[in-house]
Amino acid sequence: MVEIEKLREIAREVISREDVRQLIGYRQGTYGFRARPAFVTTPEEVDQLIFSPACVNNLATYLTLEEKLPVPRGQEPDLRKVAVMVKGCDSRALVQQMEEKAYERDRIVVLGIPCTGVVDMDKVEERFPNVLSRGEIAMEGDKFVLSFDGKREEVPKEELLADKCRRCRYPTPLVYDQLLDEEVARFADDDYSDVLELEKRSAEEKWAYWEEKFSRCIRCYSCRNVCPMCYCEDCVLDRLNPQWMRRSVDISENTAYHIARAYHLAGRCIQCGECQRVCPVEIPLMELNRKFYKDVEELYDYEPGTDAEAPPLLATFKVDDREDFIL
Amino acid sequence: MNGKPKIGVYVCHCGTNIAGVVNVEEVVQFASTLPDVVVARNYSYMCSDPGQALITDDIEKFGLNRVVVASCSPRMHEPTFRKTLLSGGLNPYFLEMANIREQCSWVHEDPIAATEKAKRIVEAAVVKARRLEALDVKEVDVEPACLIIGAGIAGIQAALDIADAGFKVYLVEKSPTVGGHMAQLDKTFPTLDCSACILTPKMVDVANHPNIELMTYSQVEEISGYIGNFEVKVRKKSRFVDMDKCTGCGACAEVCRMAGRIPNEFDEGIGMRGAIYLPFPQAVPAKYTIDKENCLFLSKGKCGESPKCKEACQAEAINFDLQDEIVEFKVGTIIVATGYDVFDARKKPEYAYGVYDNVLTALEFERLVNASGPTGGKIVMLERGKKKKKKEGEEVEPPKVPKSITFIQCVGSRDKSVGNEYCSRVCCMYTAKLAHLAKDKIPDCEVTIFYMDVRAFGKGFEEFYDRVRREGVRYIRGNPSEIFKRGDKLVVKAEDTLTATPLEHETDMVVLSVGLVPRSDNREIIDLLKLSQSSDLFYLEAHPKLRPVDTASDGIFLAGVCQGPKDIPDAVAQAKGAASAAMIPMASGKVKVEAQTSVVNEATCRGCGFCVAVCPYTAIELVEVNRNGWPVKVARVNEALCKGCGACAAACLSGSIQQRSFKDIQILPQIQALGVK
Repeated sequence: MVEIEKLREIAREVISREDVRQLIGYRQGTYGFRARPAFVTTPEEVDQLIFSPACVNNLATYLTLEEKLPVPRGQEPDLRKVAVMVKGCDSRALVQQMEEKAYERDRIVVLGIPCTGVVDMDKVEERFPNVLSRGEIAMEGDKFVLSFDGKREEVPKEELLADKCRRCRYPTPLVYDQLLDEEVARFADDDYSDVLELEKRSAEEKWAYWEEKFSRCIRCYSCRNVCPMCYCEDCVLDRLNPQWMRRSVDISENTAYHIARAYHLAGRCIQCGECQRVCPVEIPLMELNRKFYKDVEELYDYEPGTDAEAPPLLATFKVDDREDFIL
Repeated sequence: MNGKPKIGVYVCHCGTNIAGVVNVEEVVQFASTLPDVVVARNYSYMCSDPGQALITDDIEKFGLNRVVVASCSPRMHEPTFRKTLLSGGLNPYFLEMANIREQCSWVHEDPIAATEKAKRIVEAAVVKARRLEALDVKEVDVEPACLIIGAGIAGIQAALDIADAGFKVYLVEKSPTVGGHMAQLDKTFPTLDCSACILTPKMVDVANHPNIELMTYSQVEEISGYIGNFEVKVRKKSRFVDMDKCTGCGACAEVCRMAGRIPNEFDEGIGMRGAIYLPFPQAVPAKYTIDKENCLFLSKGKCGESPKCKEACQAEAINFDLQDEIVEFKVGTIIVATGYDVFDARKKPEYAYGVYDNVLTALEFERLVNASGPTGGKIVMLERGKKKKKKEGEEVEPPKVPKSITFIQCVGSRDKSVGNEYCSRVCCMYTAKLAHLAKDKIPDCEVTIFYMDVRAFGKGFEEFYDRVRREGVRYIRGNPSEIFKRGDKLVVKAEDTLTATPLEHETDMVVLSVGLVPRSDNREIIDLLKLSQSSDLFYLEAHPKLRPVDTASDGIFLAGVCQGPKDIPDAVAQAKGAASAAMIPMASGKVKVEAQTSVVNEATCRGCGFCVAVCPYTAIELVEVNRNGWPVKVARVNEALCKGCGACAAACLSGSIQQRSFKDIQILPQIQALGVK
C-alpha cells in the first residue's frame, strides 16, 4: 500500500515544477469511506492528497474532460503539463488515449500507483448497511479493515474487492514517470466466466434480459461522461442535425444509445468499469463491454490500452484478419 | 440553385428487366405524390437518347434542380445521367440514382411486393435528392512521365510504347537484368519462335531508348501523391561494380573463388554461378553484379590474400565501397508489371519434388532444353547437390540421357487442396511445347503427359496440340496420386480415367507443369500502392471486363501476369493496353479528380487519426490548427487523393469527417424512408 507521506512528498515535488500546471489525485470525500478527485495547483494543497482502497475513480477521464476555454486575445495558452495519479487499470486509459493521439506523452506526468485492489462500495453497503457515510477503510495484507462507530471490522479482501480487480491483469501501471510504491505482481486473471455465462443464453433470453436493463435507463449520460474513452469534442449522440437518436427515454432509443456506445468502445474499452460503477439504475454495462473485449482479444489477439505505439485496432486492416464472423 | 428543391423522377422500364416485374406506372404515380416532386415519368430505356432528352427538356420546362433516375445500379449509368444533367445545365451532382433493377426487379418475383419495394427505394432517393449539394469537379495537371515497375516482357512492351509516344519512362527492375521469365524460356508456343530471338532486341531497345531511364537491380521504396503527381523514391542497390567502367568481359567471374558454387537463380538453380556474375550472356545491361550475401570479401571481409575479381578487372570497375543510391523523381502515371512466381512444387509432397533428383519443375526443364542453359540445351539426367571434383587426367563420365520423360499437368493449378482454384492458362501449351522439344532432341525418348483436361483455346493452340500428339507424345487422362522410386526408375502412380485403369508408369524423368502464382513479395507493391487483390491473390483490376488494365486507384495500371495468369501474347496485349491507358491522362495533360470527397469539420474533429489509418489512399493527414487559441491536431483531406470511398466517415466516432453526397444529413432521411413506418 502506498505510504501517504511518500505520496505527498512526491506530489509536492511534482507540483512545484515550473512545467507542471496541475496535479490530479485523490482526497477524502465529504462523507465517510468515499474518496473523490483532487485538483491540486499549489504545493500547499498537497496535504489533502490520499490513497486508499476507496480511491476507485479513474482520473484519466479528467485529462480529456477538461474544457479548453478560449484563450483571450494577446494571451498564450497554458501548455504546461498535467500530472495525474493512476492505478494499473487507469494507466491503460492513458495508454489508449495516447494510442488515439488525444495528447502526446510529454504533455503529462504520470504518478503510478501499484495497486492491490480497490473496494466495491456496493458490496460494503450490502455487508454493512448504512455505514458508508461514516468511517474509514484501509487495506492490511489480505484484509480490508473498516472502522466505523468506534468498531473495527476485518473482512477478507476477496469479499469486498471490486469485480474488475478480481480479474486484473495489470495491477502495476503500464505507463508512469514515477512509481509511488514497489511494483505489484499480477494476482488475478480474467477467465471471462461472466461473459461465457451470458453467451450461453438464447437470442430471445438475451433480448429479454437487456430489454429489462435498458428500460431502466434514464439517459443521464453518466456512463458516457465518466468514461475515459468518451471524449469527442462533440458527441455524435448530442447532435440534432442529423439526429441519430432521439432523447426520449423509451426502450427503442435507450437500446440504440447503449448499443451505439458499446460499438464505439469496441477495441477501445480498457475495462476500468467506471460506467457501471456510476450508473444510478444499476445497468450491468460492463457485461456489454466485456463481451466486445473478449471478442477483440480472441479474434485479433489485441488488448486495448496496453501498447501506445500499436495502431488503433478498428482503424487497421490486415489481410490475415479473421473474418469468418462476417455473415 | 440551392433554393427550394424541384425534383423530377424518371422511372426506367429497362425493357422488361424492370417493367417485367415492377409496375412502373404505379411507381410513377406514387413518386408524383412525394414532397418537392414536380414531375414523374417513365420510359422504356431512360439511358437512350430520347430517354435522356425527357430529362433535359423537363429541366428547362419545369426548372428542375434535382433529378432522380430509378433504373439500374449507379455503377452502370450514373456517369451517363450526370452528363445528362450537365447538358441540361445542372450541376451533375444533383443526380440521385434509385436502383430498382439489381436491388429489386432482378431479385424478386412477386410483382406486388416488388412494386412496393421499388416505391420505397424511389422515396429514399427523393428524400436524399432534396438534400444534395452542388459539387465542383477539380482538375489537376499531369506530369508527362510514367513509372513502370517490373521489366519482364509486359513492362518492356509498355515502356517501349510509352517512350515511343514521346513520354518519359522510368523502368524499375528488381533483378540485375531485364527480361523476366520470358528470358528463361527456350521456344514459345505454338509457333516455336525462339524466345531470346524475339525478346533480346526489345531488351536492348529499352536500355538504349532516349526516353527510358532503366534502373535494374533497383527497388521502389516509396510512392506518394496521386494521379498526375506521384512522387517516387527508388533504391538502386549497389552492384559493387562501376556501371560506367564495366565492359562485361567476364574476366572477374572466371576467377571468383565462389565460381560454380552458387545456384544461379536464372537457371532455376540447375546451373551455378559465382559471387560476381551476369545472370545470362544476353543480360541487359551487360554489367556484372556482386551478390553481397555470397561474396567472401563483402560477407566475411576476407577473400584469400585479396579479391581475385578486382585483380582480374582490367577496367578497374570493381569497387567494394560503392553504396546504394536513392533516386527521387515525379511521374504522372504508374504501370505495375511485376509478374509472377511459379508454384512451389514442394507443396505437393506426393510428387516428391526436392526428394528425387529427376523430378523437375517445368521451368527447370525449360533451362535444361535451352541452348543458353547450363547444359547447352542437352536434356540430361540431373545429379543435384553433388559437387563435381575434377581431378586432372580423370575421365568424367558423360551424364545420362533420359529414355523416358513424363509430364504432369495442373501442378498447383485447379487444385483447391493448395488453395489455387484457377487455371494457370499456360501449362497445357507449354507442356505440349516441352514435350515436342524433348521428342525433337531425343527422338527415341518416350514422352508421356498426364492431364486433367487439355485447354488449347488460343490462336493456333489446338493445331499445335494435335501436332504434338501426332509426333508420338502419349496423353493419359488422369491426375497422378504419387511418385516413388523403384530401382533407378521413377514410378508415377495414376488412374487412366478414360479406361478406368489404375496404372504404374515407369519413367526416367518427371516434369511437373507448375502453375503461375502471385509473387511471394506481392505485399511490397500492395503496401506501396494500396492495390487490391482478387480471391486468387493476383492484383485486382477495376472491372473484369470493361477496365481490365485499370486499378481502383486512378493513374495506376496493371500489365502482365501480376493481374492474373496469361501467356506472352496476352501479356503483351495487356501491356499495350496499359500503356495506352496510361498515356491518356499524360496526353491530355489534365485529369478530373473525384468530387465526392470527404470533408472534415475541424471544429469537432478530435484528431485521433482513425481516418488517417483507414484511408486506403493516404489522402488524410493530421495537421495542427489553432482552436480558440489552443494548438490542436485535426484531420485534413487532400482532395486530389481522395477517392470518396467513405472508409474515413465510417471510422470516425464523432461524425466529424463526412463524405460529400453521403453526409449523415443526406443518408439518415434516406434510411428513415426505407425503414419501418
